[in-house]
Amino acid sequence: MKTKMDFPNINERKAEGLKPDGTPYKVLVVDDSMFVTKQISQILSSEGFDIVGTANDGQEGLEKYKELYPNVDLVTMDITMPKMDGVTSLEKIIEFDKNARVIMISALGKQDLVKKSLLLGAKNYIVKPLDRNKVLERVLLSLK
Amino acid sequence: MRVEYINPFVESAFNVLREVLNSDIQRGELYLKSTSQPVLGVAAIVGLAGDVEGRVLFDMSKPTAIGIASAMNGEELKSLDDLAKATITELANMITAQAVTKLHELGFKFDLTPPAIFTGDNMEITDSKVEALIVPVILPQGKVEINVAVRERA
Repeated sequence: MKTKMDFPNINERKAEGLKPDGTPYKVLVVDDSMFVTKQISQILSSEGFDIVGTANDGQEGLEKYKELYPNVDLVTMDITMPKMDGVTSLEKIIEFDKNARVIMISALGKQDLVKKSLLLGAKNYIVKPLDRNKVLERVLLSLK
Repeated sequence: MRVEYINPFVESAFNVLREVLNSDIQRGELYLKSTSQPVLGVAAIVGLAGDVEGRVLFDMSKPTAIGIASAMNGEELKSLDDLAKATITELANMITAQAVTKLHELGFKFDLTPPAIFTGDNMEITDSKVEALIVPVILPQGKVEINVAVRERA
């Protein structure tokens, strides 16, 4: 169409949530707070990521990961959760899939657990309150 | 009660509220209460146990709670539904986590309970043998009272 040729589309920036082949990255969000789950989902969806699952605790997160595997590219994992905490869930996910990409979501003051998670194989971490740029930056870094 | 216990809560409440609400907030006058106090309608409570023990209350009216939750979610919430409650819980979580980090740095060691929200009309809270320090925080959405009653373990 002529108009398209004459007026370059200013929205041509590729959405961050798309792989080089144009398909979306698939994300599993594990958090016991409905608010945080919604926040992460909104931020990532708006950049084209596909939220393929959510879980309310570490146990459910692990089960969902196994269910979705290999169709899951990234997990966001809260640290403090009932039933199974995020660090244990991370450990079990890495045991199941050593290439799993997991980002820890932490409140301030959990440095020791964050450190432990990074040693166990978490790719990165984000400290709450969550801010759009911070989330996207850390997520993209861990997908590289 | 020593004022040094409440300052970290007030500071982190300011930091977190400013960040999540992206607006100007003001501090009211600090006051002390040793008798029963009315609760404004929606209160998030976090317990502390260790070198210091007691509880912190984030107290606000229902419309204020709905207003804050709406702002944090970027959409207008009509009532104090599950999402609104989860939002206020998360707010209390973030504020106490930051405050506790500061108190730990000062050398106080203690654990926290997960926040619980209680709501209702004409509620009161009574802390036996420990007075409460209250700092009102004024937001565009209304007033939040940070109400701290802690003491050193005997």
